[in-house]
Amino acid sequence: MAEISIQVNGRQQKHEAEPRTHLGDFIREKSRLTGTNLSCEHGVCGACTVLVDGRPVRSCITFAGACDGHEVTTVEGYDDDPIMSRLRTAFSEKHALQCGFCTPGMLATSRDIVLRLPDADEARVRIELSGNICRCTGYQGITAAILSVLQALRDQPDAQVDALRAAVVQNVQQDWNQNGFTTFDAVQEDVQAPAPVAAAAPAASGRADKGKGQAIQGGFDARFPADQVWAFMKDLPKVAGCLPGAMIESQEGATVQGKIAIKFGPMSAAFKGNAALEEDNERRAAVLRGEGVDSLSQSRARGDVSFQVNPDGPERSRVEVELVYSLQGPLAQFSRSGLVQDFVRRMIAEFGKNVNLRLEKPLAEGEEPVVAEFNPVKMFFSILWDRFKGLFRRA
Amino acid sequence: MKAAKFEYEQAQSLQQIQDAYGSDPSALRLMGGSQSLGPMLNLRLVRPGRVLDVSAVPELRQVTAIKGHVRIGAAVTHAQIEDGIYELLRGHMMQKVAGRIAYRGVRNRGTLGGSLAHADPAADWVLTCVALGARINVRGTQGSRTVPMSEFMLAAYTTVLEAGEFIESVDVPEVSGSARWGYYKFTRKVGEFADASCACYFDPATRTARVVIGAMEGAPRSLPELAVKVAAQGAAVLEGDTIEAALQPYLAQRDEAHQVLFRTVVERSLKQALGVKG
Repeated sequence: MAEISIQVNGRQQKHEAEPRTHLGDFIREKSRLTGTNLSCEHGVCGACTVLVDGRPVRSCITFAGACDGHEVTTVEGYDDDPIMSRLRTAFSEKHALQCGFCTPGMLATSRDIVLRLPDADEARVRIELSGNICRCTGYQGITAAILSVLQALRDQPDAQVDALRAAVVQNVQQDWNQNGFTTFDAVQEDVQAPAPVAAAAPAASGRADKGKGQAIQGGFDARFPADQVWAFMKDLPKVAGCLPGAMIESQEGATVQGKIAIKFGPMSAAFKGNAALEEDNERRAAVLRGEGVDSLSQSRARGDVSFQVNPDGPERSRVEVELVYSLQGPLAQFSRSGLVQDFVRRMIAEFGKNVNLRLEKPLAEGEEPVVAEFNPVKMFFSILWDRFKGLFRRA
Repeated sequence: MKAAKFEYEQAQSLQQIQDAYGSDPSALRLMGGSQSLGPMLNLRLVRPGRVLDVSAVPELRQVTAIKGHVRIGAAVTHAQIEDGIYELLRGHMMQKVAGRIAYRGVRNRGTLGGSLAHADPAADWVLTCVALGARINVRGTQGSRTVPMSEFMLAAYTTVLEAGEFIESVDVPEVSGSARWGYYKFTRKVGEFADASCACYFDPATRTARVVIGAMEGAPRSLPELAVKVAAQGAAVLEGDTIEAALQPYLAQRDEAHQVLFRTVVERSLKQALGVKG
């Protein structure tokens, strides 16, 4: 606990607060000003927008400690504000609110638009409003309210508003000097491309699998005959033990209990749950169905890992792997645009490496596998090193 | 959700940051404007023991001219760049890009250094800094080093920063009358993270040409061959399948919709630089 002192709506507020207290909670729970609404609490919806030193910020992802000694204005503090008095009237006239939940944040952002962008047209107003979500109005009323205030100020300037606007330093460049292009002889740069996907896993492709989640295909080569690899791959504890970061805690028949720890850049998660194996000996194929919960972030993951072992000559085989997964909860926020695909691809490569390793050096009875936390960075360097060595091999 | 417990301190000087790293660098996370770290803390995806807020360190908030470059302190905010607070960045590609990062409420706090250190593959600064050939000035307990942006980001949320190191400043080329550039991104909604993006930068004065695509799985990918062709051919490069061919190695495995998105962002970004309407 530390003492944090913030001037809220002109009054000094001194309260003991934990370092993890964000500004929204400080305002609502310490200062008892409950007009500011909290909704998503991770900076997506804009409901909690307040002014810090006169500028709109999201109070849920701004920590109170960072505002120590600063000035905050909330929806309760606009009584004498010349822009806000116009907006209040306009919001009322244009039906810019229905349930009112987003309104405090909308007003803070609207005031900022009127202050900074005297000439904004409808398109610009909508762009500027895009960070505040409203689930009732469809934004028409809010946009109309802001436009009407802007128009009124153009028709009849207001000295008080002009004074506020003059205090905002802005040097917006209108002409971006983008006319005319003279061709020239450029020096081609030799760009050091980031490491591609590991050679052990061909480019995987992702597609949405209706109702089940995302699907990613990959695979790896095994340096052993197909039957031997298949025998290994249907041994549940063994195969689960090859998943990077996985730990088996108990087994009952075809089901194992355990956890899988992953590290993804700065994020880490440990999914605790169970997995079951369904085999098809005819095709040397199996599906490992697993689901788990990360207790730290309350993210839920479900995944079906299907694999099929195909002979590649008498001494080698190819294991085709497909993962269909779905993520729910906080971690899903970060699973966009191919990130997870890249991650899983690298995981499949690592899995393949482990399978080969275990086939070469089976664990002795009772020996525990060493669980390495799955770390893409370390892997990245190993991939880079492999490529580097490859250069000389080819030479 | 609420963040898990952490200790919080505000640094007032560079020395204080280095001292804080001294004891146990792995347990310490630096925080800029908390616009990337804040959500992850609240979702408990990140649980550092100690957080050091560096957004108020004066040395990190300066913008200075340095031999043909502009040196931007790591704690300079997107909004400050957007508003042209610093004369050296007025009319700069950085100013144009800044105005379209996320939302104004985020831009008022989010910092250049914070965004680069977070290294989200879809982030605007990561892509722009590669296109500009920026240099990242890194300071750490073991001394200082400079890393070209093209080598700075390794993978999603992963950079070359070692424990105990932080971004001090970023060098970008100064505003040049001869430079032409473009920036285009596709977002599902204004301010959202991009699904596909492209930045390009051309300057005959320095014979520089870069075309870079972003919002892929990892670090932005530069297309040096395409860039040289654009410089040599100008608008003629938009005819035929030159762009298609340059993108092929990166898009072959993607679904068709994604391929169209990337082709389009490259075309539109180049059209801006070439001064072609449409």
